[in-house]
Amino acid sequence: MTTPLLSIKNLQVQTSHDHRALVNGVSFDILPGEALGVVGESGSGKTLTALSILGLLPRGVEIASGEINYHGTDLVSTDRETLRNIRGNKISMMYQDPMTALNPVMKLGDQLLEVLDSHKVDISDRQSHVIAALKDVGIPDPQRAMDSYPHEFSGGMRQRIIIAMALLLSPELIIADEPTTALDVTIQQQILALVSEERRKRKMSMLWITHDLGVVANLVDKVIVMYAGRIVESGTTAEIFSNPQHPYTAGLLASLPKASDRNRTRLVSIPGIPPKPWSIGNSCAFADRCQFATEKCKNELPTLKENSKTVAACFNLIGEKK
Amino acid sequence: MTLLISEVKKQYKGRLSKTPINALNGIDFTLESGKTLGIVGESGCGKSTLARMIVGLESPTSGQVSWNGEGIFDKTKNIFKKKHSRIQLVFQDPYSSLNPRQRIGDAIAEVVSVHNLRPQKEIEGRVLELLGEVGIAADMRNRYPHQLSGGQRQRVSIARALASEPQLLVLDEPVSALDVSVRAEVMNLLIDLREKLGLTYIFISHDLSMIRHISDEIAVMYLGKIVEYGTWDEVLENPLHQYTKALIAAMPDHTTFGNSREYKLLSGEVPNPANMPTGCAFHMRCSIATPSCSENIQSLRDISGRHSVACQEVR
Ligand SMILES: Nc1ncnc2c1ncn2[C@@H]1O[C@H](COP(=O)(O)OP(=O)(O)OP(=O)(O)O)[C@@H](O)[C@H]1O
Ligand SMILES: Nc1ncnc2c1ncn2[C@@H]1O[C@H](COP(=O)(O)OP(=O)(O)OP(=O)(O)O)[C@@H](O)[C@H]1O
Ligand SMILES: [Mg+2]
Ligand SMILES: [Mg+2]
Repeated sequence: MTTPLLSIKNLQVQTSHDHRALVNGVSFDILPGEALGVVGESGSGKTLTALSILGLLPRGVEIASGEINYHGTDLVSTDRETLRNIRGNKISMMYQDPMTALNPVMKLGDQLLEVLDSHKVDISDRQSHVIAALKDVGIPDPQRAMDSYPHEFSGGMRQRIIIAMALLLSPELIIADEPTTALDVTIQQQILALVSEERRKRKMSMLWITHDLGVVANLVDKVIVMYAGRIVESGTTAEIFSNPQHPYTAGLLASLPKASDRNRTRLVSIPGIPPKPWSIGNSCAFADRCQFATEKCKNELPTLKENSKTVAACFNLIGEKK
Repeated sequence: MTLLISEVKKQYKGRLSKTPINALNGIDFTLESGKTLGIVGESGCGKSTLARMIVGLESPTSGQVSWNGEGIFDKTKNIFKKKHSRIQLVFQDPYSSLNPRQRIGDAIAEVVSVHNLRPQKEIEGRVLELLGEVGIAADMRNRYPHQLSGGQRQRVSIARALASEPQLLVLDEPVSALDVSVRAEVMNLLIDLREKLGLTYIFISHDLSMIRHISDEIAVMYLGKIVEYGTWDEVLENPLHQYTKALIAAMPDHTTFGNSREYKLLSGEVPNPANMPTGCAFHMRCSIATPSCSENIQSLRDISGRHSVACQEVR
């Protein structure tokens, strides 16, 4: 059996002052070279999970318990210096908004060289390393790009620069938090193709966060579905898309428009809105919106269990009903 | 009743440089009452500019916009306000269209009373009726916008737009900010309301899959121009313009999965409206462009019944 590159066990993230649970018992592994998609609605805890890995949780939230094991190092209990070393050298992050990662008043070349400097890597010709990285992501005139400021590029170009920056130190794991959501569809396609190719070439692992199932369908090997701070289903991309077992996953899939749809037809929808993660007591968080919910769902918390297709937390799996 | 848009152009003065921004470069179409026109195109192609113009929030630099034979900018006749109420705009972000310090019921009541649509004592009943119409329970009438979910807020902005009893609703990215599961609900609401109230829609989105669900006709915009126009099935099933084909290829497809997808890619970036390319605005990204494409300006020409394209390479 392959040892995972990253292994998260029972991660709990909460607000610091009143201990409200925001991420509740999340566990998953990423194997070397594997791409994992994390899907879920706004507020389901995707970003907090990703930021926990990097030790970059915002003010006001903290890890309450759990383990984040990276190559034998527990990132939750390790010292700041080790964490800083791993971040950048081994794990890089791509954010949704490129401007949060780029300094608006600093020339691009200086920013990219600074990434190399601050991580004390052993690269003899830094200048040409950066130029090669920019060329790899399709920046037409890398020399000139290095002399430009971020605002001189279009959104799609900036997002490519972010990718170049994330790849600069040849990380083992890339964490992407919806880096293409703000882009135009044709540019989004260019970026997704670029990331897929670089990942294959460099045999990197990847964690790709999105609220849109359609985006990860062609990008990742495995999918995790989050709902109100918990994982409700996980499985291979093929099983999640063709045999979803949790009614929420099935509902999400059904609500995506299909190429065979006609005009003036109604879409399948999930009624209601997701609850706050901390407001769920001893019940299934999805029970209120679930067409299959029974008394049991309102009085007992379902735990993740392996079924013949996926791993799901539900008392009334889709497959068992037919 | 017909919406008539004729040779509409819009230039904005550039903020930093002196070069003007060509937001709309000659838009022409007619839309019959009861129909839904979907407008699709990438960021910056002028969709919102056109939307604001149709509701009278912005005047064209040149060209005509009229509804039911009356020019929307015919200010001399002072029909502006009346017309205004017949055409309403729903924005992408319900936060920006709802006053955060006003209870949602009051926001709707205000519209009913400004337009004198009900006697004073019937206004409250009308407010609850409108909230019911969009599926918001009466006991939520006194809530503030921040006490609602994104989907509920968008329902309230739709109710507010309906309050003035419009004939034409211009929906500018009405579901783009919503979560996938909530998006479907708002789309269904729009489909039901259209049926029930006999509304005409202009539905703007960069998401072709949403456009397909609601539109009878589709206009594909690129850099301030319509490059393809036709019935929804003609445009989606028999696309003629290379840009339309690229948009269709870029629709996320979850019926094929695995990480082996062959991406059909456009190369290059969306050009800048402050620095318009010569000839066909798409020629630098187009796989079938010939040298003359960088010289000849293209305009829509009919290919069949109700399907037209702005491309000289299409025969
Ligand atoms: N600094 C913070 N203080 C308090 N609560 C927070 C903080 N940051 C996030 N939260 C809450 O934690 C929950 C999970 O947030 P998170 O950002 O992980 O969601 P997400 O799944 O990434 O959503 P989105 O798709 O909107 O980005 C939300 O309810 C959010 O309001
Ligand atoms: N008030 C304004 N002043 C100057 N330029 C403007 C103004 N409004 C829009 N523009 C410019 O006009 C062009 C068209 O903008 P518009 O907002 O109509 O595009 P859009 O298609 O709605 O884009 P998006 O999909 O991003 O909403 C853009 O280049 C924009 O920067
Ligand atoms: Mg997030
Ligand atoms: Mg817009």
